[in-house]
Amino acid sequence: VDVKLKPPEYYAALLRRLAPRPSLKRIVSTAMWGPDGKPDPAVRLRQRFSRRAVLIGAAQTGLFGLLLWRLRQLQILDSSEYRLLSDENRMSSLLTAPARGTIYDRIGRIIAEDEENFRVIVIPAFCKDLNATLDAVSRIVPVSAADRDRVKRAARRQSGYFPVLVTEGLTWRQFTLLSVLAPQLAGVRTDRATYRRYRHADSVAHVVGYVGMADKTEVAEDPIMRVPGFRTGKSGIEKGLDRELRGAPGTISYEVDAHGRVVRELGATPSVRGKDLVLTIDQELQAFALKRIEGLRVASVVVLDVITGGIVVMASYPTFDPNEISFKPDPRKWAELARNRDHPLENRALRGQYPPGSTFKVVTALAGLETGVITPRERMSCPGSYVFGRRTFRCWKRHGGGIDLHEAIKQSCDVYFYETVKRVGIDRLAVTSRALGLGQIFDFGLAGQKHGIVPDTAWKKARFHQPWYPGETISCGIGQGYVSATPIQLAVATARIATGLAVVPRLVLPADGEIVPPPPLELDPVHLELVRAGMIGVVNEKGGTAVRSALPLPDVQMAGKTGTSQVISAKNQHKLKGWEGETHALFIAYAPVGAPRYAAACVVEHGGGGSRAAAPVVRDVMTEILLRDPSTRPASMASNQASAAAAEGPHQ
Amino acid sequence: VKSIFAEAFERPQLLLKKKLVQLNWPFLMVITSITLVGVIALYSVAGGSLDPWASRHVARYCIGLALLFAIVLVDIRWWLRAAYPLYFVALILLALVIVIGVESGGAKRWLGWGEFSFQPSEMMKIALVLAIARYYQWLSPRQVSWLWAVIPPLLMIGIPVVLALDQPDLGTAALFGIVGGGLLFLAGVSWLYFLGGLAAVIAVLPHVWEKLHDYQRERILTFLDPERDPSGSGYHILQSKIAIGSGGFAGKGLMQGTQTQLNFLPEKHTDFIFTMFSEEMGFIGAAVLLALYLIALGFITYMALRCRSTFPRLVAAGMGLCLFAYVFINVAMVTGLVPVVGVPLPLVSYGGTSMLTMMVGLGFVLNAHVNRMVLIRREELGPFW
Repeated sequence: VDVKLKPPEYYAALLRRLAPRPSLKRIVSTAMWGPDGKPDPAVRLRQRFSRRAVLIGAAQTGLFGLLLWRLRQLQILDSSEYRLLSDENRMSSLLTAPARGTIYDRIGRIIAEDEENFRVIVIPAFCKDLNATLDAVSRIVPVSAADRDRVKRAARRQSGYFPVLVTEGLTWRQFTLLSVLAPQLAGVRTDRATYRRYRHADSVAHVVGYVGMADKTEVAEDPIMRVPGFRTGKSGIEKGLDRELRGAPGTISYEVDAHGRVVRELGATPSVRGKDLVLTIDQELQAFALKRIEGLRVASVVVLDVITGGIVVMASYPTFDPNEISFKPDPRKWAELARNRDHPLENRALRGQYPPGSTFKVVTALAGLETGVITPRERMSCPGSYVFGRRTFRCWKRHGGGIDLHEAIKQSCDVYFYETVKRVGIDRLAVTSRALGLGQIFDFGLAGQKHGIVPDTAWKKARFHQPWYPGETISCGIGQGYVSATPIQLAVATARIATGLAVVPRLVLPADGEIVPPPPLELDPVHLELVRAGMIGVVNEKGGTAVRSALPLPDVQMAGKTGTSQVISAKNQHKLKGWEGETHALFIAYAPVGAPRYAAACVVEHGGGGSRAAAPVVRDVMTEILLRDPSTRPASMASNQASAAAAEGPHQ
Repeated sequence: VKSIFAEAFERPQLLLKKKLVQLNWPFLMVITSITLVGVIALYSVAGGSLDPWASRHVARYCIGLALLFAIVLVDIRWWLRAAYPLYFVALILLALVIVIGVESGGAKRWLGWGEFSFQPSEMMKIALVLAIARYYQWLSPRQVSWLWAVIPPLLMIGIPVVLALDQPDLGTAALFGIVGGGLLFLAGVSWLYFLGGLAAVIAVLPHVWEKLHDYQRERILTFLDPERDPSGSGYHILQSKIAIGSGGFAGKGLMQGTQTQLNFLPEKHTDFIFTMFSEEMGFIGAAVLLALYLIALGFITYMALRCRSTFPRLVAAGMGLCLFAYVFINVAMVTGLVPVVGVPLPLVSYGGTSMLTMMVGLGFVLNAHVNRMVLIRREELGPFW
């Protein structure tokens, strides 16, 4: 048997194994052959549908993935940013104006305080149409054209999210009506704020000053000024101590909707009330002094407490009503005030510069004694005029011979002081003047004080680029020529002479009530005593210039010095006529003579003679003050401490 | 034996009970859950109140459900015959809008008789799907990609698109385009046509730009750069993005959405409801809602795949495309991916017309599903009409 064994065909088997097999698809489609032996197009179409449907399904899933990716980007990656934007959207915070500190006088009477004020404000950014909104508001509260202009200007100038005051001082009825309607008027809000009310307004007007809306430079300095209706001090102590009185603003955050309507309050930080102030001024005395000088056209009186330096009275006439200026000022009244020829807004006590006239003789006398060029015993004779070089200086009266220092002050002999000042020289006179407080301003919270002039060679060099001529010294000796001083300076000089201490004036006593006694003047007490004796003579001795103005009180004497200063000089004599050509009347005084407590200075502009016009004013005011002397009632310091405690109390 | 069986199998006269059993109940559950999300959202938009939106939304859903069952229970062949007439009625109404439509917001979209108002473009969305499906049911499978055979469906799509653009309603026009184009693709038209169409669109686009209304151009421009006008046209998109973004991962909580509750968001209960929902429910909520839609779309694709005949297959798939287009355009719009075109979020947005349209569309999907085993013969249709 021929058996041929074939080797196994591994290779073929492998090829068979590897050969492509009919796929499931081909099996299915083969089964679907049509009757004509070709693939059924309907079946192919269904397969195509299935393929494409799956494809579209995949595309849809992919696109949903795209949406999810987008959501992830918005909600997870950038979420914090959008959350911030959403908070910005919904929150709106407002600054709230703090209440201004109350101002009291030394007895504790209220001089200035904040009272409730109903207002309408708009937030321009939330108004659909500012004009229409203002129209709607004016249907309830009249909005003047000027207010309208101001609101529109403010809306343009600053961020639209800063509220702008439309009008204020609404009646309760208007306020409630608007508050009810405010939710329907996008961007409109009502609020209760305060306005400044001044009691006994005209008597303290110049001291306390007034408040007004912040001007441009102030706004740039501090954004709180943009709080609608926020007012800053514009003059007087309101301006000088504005920072203390102002307080700190609070904030209220609101949740607002897309139209700016408040949905609810989210939270508030309260505003901090400004500090209360207790002035050294005595309002009733101030009123008394003002009433006393009312009949005069322009006059001012200053009274200092020589121990504390506190200004008890600082009256200046004519005056004004700060209530009219600080709240809803009437432009016409304002213009009237500003244009008045007597300038009622000016505080003469600080800003009136007058040649001190004979009141300056006390300074000349002190300078003479200090330099040793005169002695109290030296007697001079007064022939009624004094010749220096080619010029003749007149005395107001022929005093005759035997005039010593005491008589010279008492009778106000010009010739005696012409001679004295010639010997002293202008520079030494200036040194003594400055020691007494002339030619300088005092920082007690009132801005705009004038320096006055204490002339010397250096001053003239700087001012006119000219040397000092000895002839100019002579008239300075009796407070004429270049010399000028303000009433407050004269009062300070008087206080310094009376006490021998470098008294510094102030309007607000230190909160702790601790009063450091001022340092003694660098002047010989003996010389001061001599001058004081002369001043006592002026009022109380026969022949004194102000003897008619002695105090009508038993056992209490006043010392003083009259002054009548000329305003007419060779240069201006043609221009000044009538009232303007009259001399200024001045009087300085202190009382009681034994233990000086009060020093006063009074200037009556163009009032004629000092003894006739000014001295009686001081006499009456001084009498009143001494009669009410609070040293018998411990009011001043006690009330200051009490109010300082009260000011801090409620905020803790 | 075989022929009798086949006859019975191919032309079943389904009983009511059998139809109800055949119904895709899980799908209905998904639809209901999506609607419930809408109810919750509308409850929150109203500030925690069923009035005025949530309760009416539920009522409309119930009406829609009744309509859905009515459509499901009618035999599919009846709908097949009704497809063209419905399409022509819709076309006439759409044309009528241009003549006697009620204008609102610069666009004529509504036909109104007193209280009752009606948006023909909604009807057209359904009718277009039916008509195209009907056309391919009739067309011989061999001729699908023939040039002359592609022209009629293109006209069927093109005329409503032009009419919608004339209203002008960019969103609806885009929807017609997407649904129609998708149906042609699913029907098996050659890829070459789509490539050609794409080339043509690119060529025509500059001319279309010139024909667009100013506000439409503005919308597209602000879409491309929302910062252009943050208080005007860009406002909506910006506020919507802020709302969605500020919702974060977990959301601000129901009724806690500041953007919506404080009215920074426009149309928060209609077109921008997704924004509102994702602000309050966060990324999680938004993802869950999108997942629900994706599940519904999966159901629809599955149901379409199981149909034996072209008509139900294309009807189901067409409605699916419609649902997808609505959801995608709406969400892409509120997240700033496409311009603001004013398309509601189906089943969630408040609005009677959109709710009823969607329920009718889903009714047709379920009808196709119920009749999935029905084999419609070409001979049964007779001529083109």
